[in-house]
Amino acid sequence: MGTEASSFETSEMLATFLASTPLLSESWRLCNISNTSTPRGFLVEQIGDVGYIAFSGNQTVGNSEPSCRNLVPLMESDGNALFIPLHRLNEGEEPVMVHAGLLQLFLSMHISASFQNQMLALMEKSRPIVITGHSLGGTVATLCTLWLLSYFQSVSSPVQVLCITFGSPMLGNESLSKAVLRERWGGNFCNVVSKHDIMPRMLFAPQASFTQLHFLLQYWHLSMNCPRFGMLAQLHDEDKADLFRLVLCHLEVIAQAGEEVAKSLFWPLGSYLFCSEEGAICVDNAVSVIKMMHLLLMTGSPYSCVEDHLKYGDYVEKVSLQYLNQGSFMQADIPESSYESGVAISLQSLGIYSQETVAKPVKDCLKTARRMGLRPNLNAAKLAVSLAKINPYRAQIEWYKASCDESDDHMGYYDCFKLRDNSKKGAKVNLNRHKLASFWNNVIKMLDNNELPYDFNRRAKWVNTSQFYKLLVEPLDIAEYYRTGMHHVKGHYLKQGRERRYEIFDRWWRERKVSVDENNKRSKLASLTQDSCFWARVEEAREWLDNIRSESDPRNLALLWENIDAFEKYARKLVDNKEVSRDVLLKNSSYNLWVEEWSKLKSQLKKCSLQFPDYVNGKVVP
Amino acid sequence: MASLKVGENKEINTDLIQKACSLAVKAHSKSSQKSYILEKTGGSSYVIFSFPGYWSENDWYDGEPFGETKINLDLFPSLRSIGIDEHAKVNKAFQQRFVDKISRNQDFIKEVEKAKNERKQIVFTGHSTGGSIAILATIWFLEKYWRSDASATSPLCLTFGCPLTGNHIFSHALRREKWAPYFIHFVMRYDIVPRILLAPISSIKQEFQPILQFLNPKSSRASTNTPPEALNFYMNVMKNASSVASHAACKLMGNTNLLLETMANFTALSPYKPFGTFVFCTGNRKLVILSNPDAVLQLLFYSSQLDNEAECPDVAQRSLQQHFSYGNELKDCFTKLDADHAVLLESLEKLPLSADSTTTSSDITTINAALKDLGLSTRARLCLCAAGELEKRKIGNKNSIDLKKADTAMKYLQEYQLSCKHQGLGCYDAFKIHKSDKDFEANVNRLELAGIWDEIIEMLKNYDLPDAFEGEKEWIDLGTKYRHLVEPLDIANYYRHLKNNDTEGYTKKGRPKRYRFTQRWLEHAQRLPAGSCGESCFWADVEELRIKTSSKEGYAPFKDEVLQLEEQAMKWINDGVLDKDVLMENSTFMVWWKKQPDPLASCINDIEGFTITSA
Repeated sequence: MGTEASSFETSEMLATFLASTPLLSESWRLCNISNTSTPRGFLVEQIGDVGYIAFSGNQTVGNSEPSCRNLVPLMESDGNALFIPLHRLNEGEEPVMVHAGLLQLFLSMHISASFQNQMLALMEKSRPIVITGHSLGGTVATLCTLWLLSYFQSVSSPVQVLCITFGSPMLGNESLSKAVLRERWGGNFCNVVSKHDIMPRMLFAPQASFTQLHFLLQYWHLSMNCPRFGMLAQLHDEDKADLFRLVLCHLEVIAQAGEEVAKSLFWPLGSYLFCSEEGAICVDNAVSVIKMMHLLLMTGSPYSCVEDHLKYGDYVEKVSLQYLNQGSFMQADIPESSYESGVAISLQSLGIYSQETVAKPVKDCLKTARRMGLRPNLNAAKLAVSLAKINPYRAQIEWYKASCDESDDHMGYYDCFKLRDNSKKGAKVNLNRHKLASFWNNVIKMLDNNELPYDFNRRAKWVNTSQFYKLLVEPLDIAEYYRTGMHHVKGHYLKQGRERRYEIFDRWWRERKVSVDENNKRSKLASLTQDSCFWARVEEAREWLDNIRSESDPRNLALLWENIDAFEKYARKLVDNKEVSRDVLLKNSSYNLWVEEWSKLKSQLKKCSLQFPDYVNGKVVP
Repeated sequence: MASLKVGENKEINTDLIQKACSLAVKAHSKSSQKSYILEKTGGSSYVIFSFPGYWSENDWYDGEPFGETKINLDLFPSLRSIGIDEHAKVNKAFQQRFVDKISRNQDFIKEVEKAKNERKQIVFTGHSTGGSIAILATIWFLEKYWRSDASATSPLCLTFGCPLTGNHIFSHALRREKWAPYFIHFVMRYDIVPRILLAPISSIKQEFQPILQFLNPKSSRASTNTPPEALNFYMNVMKNASSVASHAACKLMGNTNLLLETMANFTALSPYKPFGTFVFCTGNRKLVILSNPDAVLQLLFYSSQLDNEAECPDVAQRSLQQHFSYGNELKDCFTKLDADHAVLLESLEKLPLSADSTTTSSDITTINAALKDLGLSTRARLCLCAAGELEKRKIGNKNSIDLKKADTAMKYLQEYQLSCKHQGLGCYDAFKIHKSDKDFEANVNRLELAGIWDEIIEMLKNYDLPDAFEGEKEWIDLGTKYRHLVEPLDIANYYRHLKNNDTEGYTKKGRPKRYRFTQRWLEHAQRLPAGSCGESCFWADVEELRIKTSSKEGYAPFKDEVLQLEEQAMKWINDGVLDKDVLMENSTFMVWWKKQPDPLASCINDIEGFTITSA
């Protein structure tokens, strides 16, 4: 693929759009109320069609301060299975980890009856839901959003969720942020971060001293209630300076490491709206977000980094009124190119246009953030072209299937391919299988990287083509898996060998729009077996059948018996509904051989005795 | 005689503009009973119809937050996107007003026809909401008379301070039909009226009544003082205009952040979109003229922005007052009209980005001065650039379609069709049996073509091709040729793989969009009823009937369908749109047809019936 990128810098334009909607100001208004009136809790309000839930920034995190490097694997702490889509593990990737204290905070809130009731009421009434929170409340809001998104996915609900946080600390590791992207939830999180606020940056510095933090939180909580109260817990200037230096220093290390080494335990998630007195910009590339956090903090001071955490009200008001003005500052030296002028506008919005030392690296940073690929729609169009190019490979496999299914050995294309010799024909099909796999893997990779249109996985063309591909080619993947004995090495295909792409295609197919009357009966056998994992199930059933002869433990035997019985019922139903293709029923297919063997075994057993399982103890079976 | 250049090869007499303007205003003040006034000046080559405006809240917002509704396709059959088959939207109150007062008004129709028969140019004009009626009247005229009679004189529509009237499909369809150039809209820099419909009624509910009271020329307002609500009204409309403009700009500039899509579900954005040529009056005797709809939308917002916060109350007042200053402003403009005063913005992507651009080119300097007079910041200029780039990109997308490759594949399939025939079997049946290598090669070519056409369809769905695309003869012909040649192969493939069992019959569920779209193009271009060009689906009809008649119920319940199919087949073969290979002895169709029990009831008594009439 080429590298034609957009000739415009749009991070500032997106921020302008956000600011011109009521979402930011309404969210902040509710956060502010929640900070003072519902400490340690949340509040719910309906504005027009949109439901809002705001978590108070005034929260206490168990015994552990939010500074702890106390990350826990989400999968293990998720006793109630609230975040199932985030459990999926990718090879070579760290498991999804989140901050233990913050997770606990949400979980304890989640089980409360009041939360459950109010959430239910909210979901009933509102189509779109905004979940928001200031400070620690924002991180709770993030967890709440992840939970709602997981829940809505499980019930295929179309309800839209948007999470808006203000100055919130990081929640989890890089795997979390990747998992969110993979689920296509990246667009559901918008984190507002002011220029100097230390809170969202704090967790990048794991060694921050407990006492300092304790005071800091206390100061903020008191100030949220009433600015005057804050004076009671004012931090010493030296402490602020220490903290400022510490965070800045750690951020610098991480920012410079960039993409190569994820040195930080914590990682940004979703989009970040950086705001200053002059405006705002919105960035979604994680590496750029970290760099921006560092660069903007550099322009701050020990004093402003603490005070900025309390100033979101002012920032929100400023940016939401900006639309009225032309903002025709900086008369001189506007760059000639449209991209460079966009960058200049962004720098102005951050109030750092004339700050040479920061302006230059921020510029580079925006360039990193700019997506290097083609535009998503153009990408999709290009993919359609490459699909047309690889389609002949698929056609050849169809051709192969037809010729195997008709050949005299009556084996069908699954077994033919599994038992293939070194003939040219088999090698060609195998090559095609690889070509197709790499095409589809690339599609998935582009999706993961957000290079394709947001509704790509709902476009009929792609849902149908991927399904057809899966039905035709997955049996060959299974055949290859068992042919090369991978099941001895890794375990059975269904559990250990199935490629992620097929699971994704399964989901696309499940989630497609289905009209009611799609359950008409088949009059003939399907052209492709409708369960693409059918052969993997056959392979397992074959193993059970083998084991049953050698097994002596009656408990294990009963289990095997049960498994075989279940498989037989499943296969019978598929055949009865004509949902299998003809190759399954050919005389010498693995399936047919299995059926024969199974009935032979059953009749032998019957001969021995009419009573099963009393007699089956391994000795009666030859 | 002075004239205003509003586009390439298009100039409009300034006297005509001024006359139309004064008539448009006059239409309001005439006795409120009249739904239009007609000006015929003896000897002149044109007649002017002008329409009064209306001033109650329900005349703007009827129902929906933005007052829009589906267009009445009986009156405006072209106002839709053809392939996607999506109707345009139009302001409900305006459309209702037009239907009630104009389209059923026999006097009006008589006058229009008279003028048309006298070969006079008909000018429709209106100020404020009257402009919207003029727009609908013009489209009605184009649909009813112009489409069928190309010799008629083209109409002209001149509006002054007219609110937005239709959505993006409205705009798209007018450009596809090449009607957009007949519409010229004059907009004062600060006039709020053309911007009002960018805001939902809920956001301006409190102020709207007194504002309308002020805007109504018929109301007896005490003074020319603007109402105190002006400030809030201006700010609210601008805030919504900013949402619309910045959202559109993100799209124009290719922002890929997923947040943009999520946000769109949380905020209702105005569906309206400009079309036609816009003439922006800067307020200091300069005119800025452009016709790119995306750019106009941006300009509607940016030209009303403040230079500094302090001028806000003042601009808010002007936003109402300027609604009434079209006559004077245009008079001033036209008394001394030269190149420096009317600037045509054409290559938007090349606009100077900075107000202080130091260039020696006098063109750029002129343009720059005009943009400055409209108060366009660098941000605004970037948006205009992006609109220009998009236009260019759409043309680029069209040029990138690989016609050469498509042509090679089509040639192969044409030969395939012939060679099948030589071997005594139509290509449908040969392809369905799929025995030889040739069939395989044909399949590869079919897939290649499908890839090319699917890409076109995908771009159409995203409006990534020029608006004119679906109306271009070259493409309609190519699409029809493709459909006739290749769709039978798709059907053969469908039934060969028994996909009718996986889902349903081909025509119901399996028919790819590339054929549905291309069929609609032809039907629209030839003004045929929807579904009348289904000849390329003939084989699917045969297969479905074959399945039906082989069921237990047998032939009897489907007799009518069988007869209808026969009748159609004969007509299609005679018209030359269905290949005669369907009649070959071993074709699926003939084998099945010969088995039907009741040949006498058929419109063709024997097989010869086909061959004789088609000979």
